[in-house]
Amino acid sequence: MASRYDRAITVFSPDGHLFQVEYAQEAVKKGSTAVGIRGTNIVVLGVEKKSVAKLQDERTVRKICALDDHVCMAFAGLTADARVVINRARVECQSHKLTVEDPVTVEYITRFIATLKQKYTQSNGRRPFGISALIVGFDDDGIPRLYQTDPSGTYHAWKANAIGRSAKTVREFLEKNYTEDAMANDNEAIKLAIKALLEVVQSGGKNIELAIIRRNQPLKMFSAKEIELKVTEIEKEKEEAEKKKSKKNV
Amino acid sequence: MAATFFGEVVKTRCRAGTEEEEEEEESRRETPEDQEVRRQLGRKREVRLLRRQTKTYLECALLEKYPCSKFIIAIGNNAVAFLSSFVMNSGIWEEVGCAKLWNEWCRTTDTISLSPAEAYCVFYHLKSSPSVFLCQCSCYVAEDQQFQWLEKVFGSCPKKNMQVTVLTSRHITDYKTSESTCSLPAPFLRALKTQNFKESVCCPLLEQPNIVHDLPAAVLSYCQVWRIPAVLYLCYTDVMKLDPVTVEAFKPVLSSRSLKGLAKNIPPSTEMLRKLMTTNEVQSNIYT
Repeated sequence: MASRYDRAITVFSPDGHLFQVEYAQEAVKKGSTAVGIRGTNIVVLGVEKKSVAKLQDERTVRKICALDDHVCMAFAGLTADARVVINRARVECQSHKLTVEDPVTVEYITRFIATLKQKYTQSNGRRPFGISALIVGFDDDGIPRLYQTDPSGTYHAWKANAIGRSAKTVREFLEKNYTEDAMANDNEAIKLAIKALLEVVQSGGKNIELAIIRRNQPLKMFSAKEIELKVTEIEKEKEEAEKKKSKKNV
Repeated sequence: MAATFFGEVVKTRCRAGTEEEEEEEESRRETPEDQEVRRQLGRKREVRLLRRQTKTYLECALLEKYPCSKFIIAIGNNAVAFLSSFVMNSGIWEEVGCAKLWNEWCRTTDTISLSPAEAYCVFYHLKSSPSVFLCQCSCYVAEDQQFQWLEKVFGSCPKKNMQVTVLTSRHITDYKTSESTCSLPAPFLRALKTQNFKESVCCPLLEQPNIVHDLPAAVLSYCQVWRIPAVLYLCYTDVMKLDPVTVEAFKPVLSSRSLKGLAKNIPPSTEMLRKLMTTNEVQSNIYT
């Protein structure tokens, strides 16, 4: 039945599905995992680094991109679609600043990206964008924001979320381990993002990229060394927790 | 003959069969060249088992030549990687034969020697227990070749005292369920067994109306007809290429009776798996 209703994007199936949109969501699952966490004073984006070919320049394979000084996003899915969406969003950020003399709010730019994605689910002969995005940043009022968009053009605010391959596993981990009190501490928020990624990433900290934004500060990308330090810290804590557990059992 | 509304007379096909139809049939009849092409194609599509060490073809069926108590077949790259990492590196396995076949999806060159890089179908037995057989099949066996494959491997009258385990994977979009595919915990295992398989399976049975396709289905049907105890473990995954998460989803099978004792040393297995991933990784920049 599906094959009769997935040729053209503008066609609903009898049971109300837009198959092209659902297939686009499958394309998102082919991208590597990205996780976003909203702390009290910090927002964190962590991604699973894609393995780079030997002769490829690593700098050109980035999953975390700044849209403006105070907003950045991570995506999962089709690389080329992401490039187009990011370019449009960046232009919109500057256009907004020039027109109303204020930087965009995180919600505004998320709504812009979501509206753009929705247009492509209702146009003849065009397929939807095959990406989901996690958009983080601070508004002028100093409140941290995390939004997620998907190929259908919906967007929601989240406290913590994951997209891409194994997103379900990471989301379940976040549901178990996210607490508002812990998120008041910046370091705890960063460690939660890394712990969530370590659940699904092969070969540990070497394959993780991390970015944070603190209130009134620009985007900061963590270096490989800094990530390794955090991973070591996490592993130490794990060992200590296990030692305590075994002492209790004895 | 028939008349249309406008009075013109038109020729129509006669269901009874007329002289004119015979004429058409003659033109459709095969020329000698067509027959020769068909013969050559048939020869090319023949499934043959050979021993690479001696570069000779096997005269009789594989399991007629060697006694077999356990036969584990891995079909598809994820199942093959699972056996390579978890079973084959825990013992010494000797190659006893390989299947040479050609079809539109599996174009092995028409020579007696197969290079390791080509899609292959290789049979091994465990040196310490030669009645335990393993098959690594990473090539596609077409519908018209499946019966030949079965005959060349099992023989025309297979013994019933062996147990067959088949491992394979399929894309989750093939899984029919009333739940939404987004909520399914991919990858996951399902099992299908023959009537004579009395042991317990290590995962839920495949629900209706799902069916099994291709060579795994052919093997299972063959075993059902010949009353051989056989079980198929099918992993539904959302990643069709070689993927460590999918390969590890087969791990519960290690606790089954057929694979128990064959897989030891789990840490080197994961190391082996990682190596397989890096050697097989095809650099694709489409998805990030």
